[in-house]
Amino acid sequence: MKKSIALLTALAMVAGTLMACGSSTDSSSESTVAETTDNIAAESEAPASTDSDTASTDGRTEITFWHYMSEDKEGKYVNQAVEEFNNSQDEIYVTAQYLPRDELMKQYTIGVVSGELPDCGMVDNPDHNSYASMGVFEDITELYNSWEDANFMEGSINSCYYEGKLYGLPWGNNCLGLFYNKEMLDAAGIEVPTTWSELEAVCEKLTTDTCKGLAISAIGNEEGTFQYMPWLLSSGGSVTDLTSDGSKESMSYLYNLIEKGYVSRECVNWTQADAEKQFASGQAAMMINGPWQFSGLADDAPDLDYGVAKVPKADNGEYASVLGGENVAICAGANVEASWKFLTWITSKEKSQDICKSIGRFSPRADVDIQEMFADDPLNSVFAEVMPSAQSRGPSPDWPEISAAIYTAQQEVFTGQKDVDTAMADAQAKIDAIGSK
Amino acid sequence: MQSNKREKKEQILGYFFIVPAIIYMLTFIGYPIAYNWIISFQDVTAKTLGSAARDFIGLENYKMIFIDLTFRKALLHTFVYTIGCLVIQFSLGFLFAIFFAKKFALSKPIRGFIVISWMLPVTVTALVFKFMFAESNGIINTILMNLHIIRQPIGWLLQGNTAMLGLIIANSWVGIPFNMLLLTTGLNNIPEDIYEAASIDGASKIQKFLKITIPLLKPTIMSVLVLGFVLTFKVFDLVYVMTGGGPVDATEVLSTYSYKLSFQLFHFGEGAAVANVLFVCLFLVALVYLKTISKDEVI
Repeated sequence: MKKSIALLTALAMVAGTLMACGSSTDSSSESTVAETTDNIAAESEAPASTDSDTASTDGRTEITFWHYMSEDKEGKYVNQAVEEFNNSQDEIYVTAQYLPRDELMKQYTIGVVSGELPDCGMVDNPDHNSYASMGVFEDITELYNSWEDANFMEGSINSCYYEGKLYGLPWGNNCLGLFYNKEMLDAAGIEVPTTWSELEAVCEKLTTDTCKGLAISAIGNEEGTFQYMPWLLSSGGSVTDLTSDGSKESMSYLYNLIEKGYVSRECVNWTQADAEKQFASGQAAMMINGPWQFSGLADDAPDLDYGVAKVPKADNGEYASVLGGENVAICAGANVEASWKFLTWITSKEKSQDICKSIGRFSPRADVDIQEMFADDPLNSVFAEVMPSAQSRGPSPDWPEISAAIYTAQQEVFTGQKDVDTAMADAQAKIDAIGSK
Repeated sequence: MQSNKREKKEQILGYFFIVPAIIYMLTFIGYPIAYNWIISFQDVTAKTLGSAARDFIGLENYKMIFIDLTFRKALLHTFVYTIGCLVIQFSLGFLFAIFFAKKFALSKPIRGFIVISWMLPVTVTALVFKFMFAESNGIINTILMNLHIIRQPIGWLLQGNTAMLGLIIANSWVGIPFNMLLLTTGLNNIPEDIYEAASIDGASKIQKFLKITIPLLKPTIMSVLVLGFVLTFKVFDLVYVMTGGGPVDATEVLSTYSYKLSFQLFHFGEGAAVANVLFVCLFLVALVYLKTISKDEVI
């Protein structure tokens, strides 16, 4: 008896292990500190969700909507829109629930097994295919085909298709640009760089002991890949041919900026939000970032005088940008009818235009003229101009693995572990191996 | 005969008392463990996750991870990290425990103060250390440069070896008070009169420490080491927040790699296999612990 109690104790001691790494796809694996704090964060912000709203839920169909627009920034506008929807009719009541992005993505995977999925939710567009292949989302091809108001930009709606079927609707688009500190550029008497060699020259002039020329994010996750894409595409490289001269040139160029001290080596640990902090605090004269940072910059550095330009192009290349943004989808086994009503309302021309503007995104609808909309806005108009030509990542259910190969190569090069040729060849080998598995 | 019957009756009653606990353990601990073992033998990827009929592929997942360079690195890193942390936090924790066992004025408040680091959420600790180890503006580099110990700022979390060192230091900061607390309790439980008797017999301080303190503290030391090993070996949050397993895979440990495989690359089967390797390692340590404990109990 004693022995078996002892054995049970031993089991209990190690049991935490499996839960801690969350590899068990059971939902009871939420007891680690990191996750708990995430949850606390999510819960403490829950009151801001539509619960406090005056509309009653009596007799209405209730549906939940998961999103990862942080409550203190873009999330406010999401809640506003949801409240407006709840007040606009009396059949459906939507509850918006904020979860941090990583947590949300994990909950989708767990939900496939446990069956605890929301009715509808948000997904980062490069990941949409993977989750669709996992069976997280409902096939809405037929609903979409009979929807009169369906009118989205091709690149955006394409990211919702998996094996010929439609699994969601585009919610908002974004892309990357070059933010520059006007004061610093003016003081040095230089023009905004448009090509790589100009960028390097500007960096050289603006880099001091306390200020780097440029801040980028090269972190080991999707953000790192996203940030690398404009450089890769501009020099004629591509994700399907990382060993081409163009692909290697882009990596060498960025590594050169780091080697010369124009870009901090710490970029391998920086998220895009970290890059924004560097720029806002004057520790970087320029940064590569997207329109969703406008609200953050207004909070962190209200007096900062900055401008936005296109990401500089390779000396012998073209301007390139990468399509970022979110899609919304109906989850498997959910209340499709009610969710469809809500999603088509929120992605309709008028609403899409409003909400995207307030959360620093661009409407993915083809009938919203974003260039005209932002004609008088010197910051947004740059992104609006780039948006139509922004290239999407994937769509492919294997994108997470392709992306992992790319950001790993980037990290290997930037930390000096591998030279460009080896890192790119290894990354290409990994991508080639994906199909054969 | 009579008493035997009663004993049996009591035993049966006893089982009833532990039934709720056992049911709880089976559902919340047993089930995830069993589930994890099952999927580690199945072909579970993004495409097959939702379907009920997943192919059993035997040891294929385990084969895949053992030829995977990153996994081997992660295994090594986990041991380096655990042993590094144990050595630092046990030795310093022991020193602190002995120090605070001398009941000087303020010893209790100061001891309480040190324990704060153990009570902080690990995510907070990780973030604070991430800032402190930053290459530019990090306080650690600033201090070292002002003391003229280093000339150039060190990119602590940007190189493999120093990143691992940074993690070990951060974890030790949390682990030292934990070790100290348990060891202090152990020290306080050694009766004063044994020392008095030894003094009368003319034992020196070193003799008292080696012949009385250490042997009597042995069960405590064993529990501290094993608990420390288990808690350190399964580290996740600290690494995830501080380095994310990077730069590249330089600080990847088993738990973060398992997470990455499962939730970023969607190789659920392989992720489960990595978690099971972690499980087996800890299970072995726990068994060794139980063996030594039961030996002590017999004596």
